[in-house]
Amino acid sequence: MTVTLVILLVLIGLSIPVGAALGILGLILDPLYSMLPLTRAIGEIAWQTNNEFLLVAIPLFIMLGEILLRSGIAEKMYSAMSLWLSWLPGGLMHANIAASTLFAATSGSSVATAATVGTVAIPQIKKRNYNESLFLGSLAAGGTLGILIPPSVNLILYGVLTNTSVPALYLAGFIPGLGVSLLFMLAIWVCCLFKPRWGGEKIHANWHQRLTSLIHLVPPIGIFLLVVGSIYAGVATPTEAAALGVVGALILAASVGRLTFAMIRDAVEGAMRTSAMIMLIVIGAAFLNFIMSAAGITELITQTITGLGVSANVMLLVLVIFYLILGCFMETLSLMITTIPIVAPIMIAFGYDPVWLGIVIVILIETALITPPVGLNLFVIQSVRKSGNINSVIIGSLPFVAMLLLMILILDIFPGLALWLPRQFS
Amino acid sequence: MTRKRIPETIFDRLLAIANTLSRGAMWVAGGLTLMSAFYISIDVIIRKAFNMSLGGSDELSGYAFAISISWALSFATLQRANIRIDTFYQFLSVRVSALLDFVSLVSLGVFIVYLTRYALEVAETSWALDSAANSTLATPLWIPQYLWAAGFLWLCVVLAIMLVRSSIALVTGDLRTVNAIAGIISAEDEALGEAEAGKRLIHGEPS
Repeated sequence: MTVTLVILLVLIGLSIPVGAALGILGLILDPLYSMLPLTRAIGEIAWQTNNEFLLVAIPLFIMLGEILLRSGIAEKMYSAMSLWLSWLPGGLMHANIAASTLFAATSGSSVATAATVGTVAIPQIKKRNYNESLFLGSLAAGGTLGILIPPSVNLILYGVLTNTSVPALYLAGFIPGLGVSLLFMLAIWVCCLFKPRWGGEKIHANWHQRLTSLIHLVPPIGIFLLVVGSIYAGVATPTEAAALGVVGALILAASVGRLTFAMIRDAVEGAMRTSAMIMLIVIGAAFLNFIMSAAGITELITQTITGLGVSANVMLLVLVIFYLILGCFMETLSLMITTIPIVAPIMIAFGYDPVWLGIVIVILIETALITPPVGLNLFVIQSVRKSGNINSVIIGSLPFVAMLLLMILILDIFPGLALWLPRQFS
Repeated sequence: MTRKRIPETIFDRLLAIANTLSRGAMWVAGGLTLMSAFYISIDVIIRKAFNMSLGGSDELSGYAFAISISWALSFATLQRANIRIDTFYQFLSVRVSALLDFVSLVSLGVFIVYLTRYALEVAETSWALDSAANSTLATPLWIPQYLWAAGFLWLCVVLAIMLVRSSIALVTGDLRTVNAIAGIISAEDEALGEAEAGKRLIHGEPS
C-alpha cells in the first residue's frame, strides 16, 4: 500500500502526464503483487472503457458548451440578470452568481463559465465602483457551479467510476447546486451589509425593461429543459440528452446567425482535445484499478482504514481535509479520476450513500478550483482582468470557499437535500 | 552547429507533417462525434414520435467515440494538452525541467506502446475468432477495434518523432525546443488562453 502511494507520488511529482503515470504504476504493480500477468488485460480494459456509451456523453457535453459559448448568449443573459438582481445589496455581484448558475445549467465546464461571465462582467467594476476583490471572487466562485449543476461532466465521471446512476446524480446535484448559489449570494449580501461601499452603484431598471429582458433567458433555459428535461421525463439517457443538446445548440447558433464553419471547427477542436485528454486519464485509471483490485490492494486500503475505528463523521472530516490539501497540488479532473476509485469504496464502507458522496466530492472539487496555488478559476479571472495582483482574486474568493464548506456541513446534517429528489423519481 | 542542421530539419519537417496529419485526424474524429450526436438525436426523436428505432445508435456511437478518441490523442499530445502536475516542476531550473519534459515524453511513450500492443491484440483476437457484437447489428468487432487501435498506432509514430526530435534538442542543448515540443503549459498560460477565448467569443469574432 505504501509502495503504491510512494511510486504514484514520485511519478506525478516528476510531472509525468497523469494518464501515463497511472498506467505505468499499473505496469509496475502487476509483477510486484500479482501471481498472474495482468498487463495483457490493458487492451480489453481500454476497449471496454473507450467504448462505454455513458462516456460518449463527455465529448458531447463539452461540444455543447463550446457551441453555446460561441453563440453569444452569455452577454445577453448577463444583462438580463443585472436588470433583475442589481437592486440587492451587492448589486451586480448577484448577477455574476445568477448568470453563472444559469450558464452552469447548460454547460458542464467551470473554467468556461468563469471566462465567459468574467469577460462580460469585469469592465463593470470600475464603471460602477465595486470592491474589486469581492467582485472578482464572486466570478471565480460562480464559475465553479458549472460542475455541480447538471449537466456536469464531473458527475458522469463519478458515476462511471463508482457504478452510480448518472440521472440520480444529476437529480441530486440540483438542490445543493441552487443551495450553493444562494449561499454565495448570501455571502455577498452579508459582506455588503457590513461594508455598503463594496456594493457599487445600482442599476435602475423599470419593470418594462425587466420583463422584455426575459427573452434573453429563453435560449439557455430552453437548452437546459431539452437536455435535463429529457433525462427526467424518461425520454433519453444522459448520453442521448447530450446529443439532443448538441443539435439544439447548433440550431440555436444558426438562428442567431453565429453558425459558421470556422465556429464549428473551433468548437469541435476544443471538445476533441479536452475529451482525448480526459479519456487517456480514464483509461490509465481503469487499468490501474483493475490491477489494484486484482492484487487486492484496493480492499486492503479499505480494510485498513475502516479498521482504524474512527467514526463516520471523523472520516468525512478527513475526506474534506484530504481534498483541500490535494486540491492545492493537483489539477481537478485528474484529482477526481485518480482518487475516486480509492476514496469512494472507503466512504461507502462507512455507510455514506454513493449518490450523496458524489455531490460532496464535486463540491470539494469546486473548492479546489478556487483555492491557491493551482485554483484554475482564479487564474482565469486574473487573466481576463489582465492587471493588478492575483492575490485580490484569492482574497475575494475566501468568503465563497467558506460557503462551499458550509454547504458540505449542511449536507452532512440534512442528507435529504441531495437525496430527496432522486428518491422522488426512482 | 551547422553539422547538426541536416537531421534537425528532417525531423522538423516530419514533426510539421505529423502536426498537419494529426489535425486532420482530429477533425475527422470531431466529425464522427458530431455525426453521432445527429444519429442519436434522430433515433431518440423517431423512437418517441413513431415508436420505432433506427437501432444501434448506442453501439455505433460507442465505436465512433472509441475511434475518435484514439485518433484525437495525437493532436492533443502535439498540443501538449496532456495534464501534468507542475507543483515541483515550476521551481526547477530550465535544464532540469527540460530533462523532466523528456522523461515525461518517454513515460507517455512506454504507456502508449503497451496500450497499442494490447489494443492490437484485442482486434487480432476478434479477427481470429470472428467475434461479433452481442447486439442486433452483430457488428464484426474487428472493424471498429482495428480502426481504434490504428489511432494508437499513429500516436506511437507521432510520439517517436517527438522523442527523436527532442532527443536531438536535448543533446545539442537546445532547451527551448525541448520545451516547445514537450514542456508544460503552465496554469497561467492555460488560463490566459481561456480568457482570450472568452474575450473573442463575447466580442463576437467567430474564430
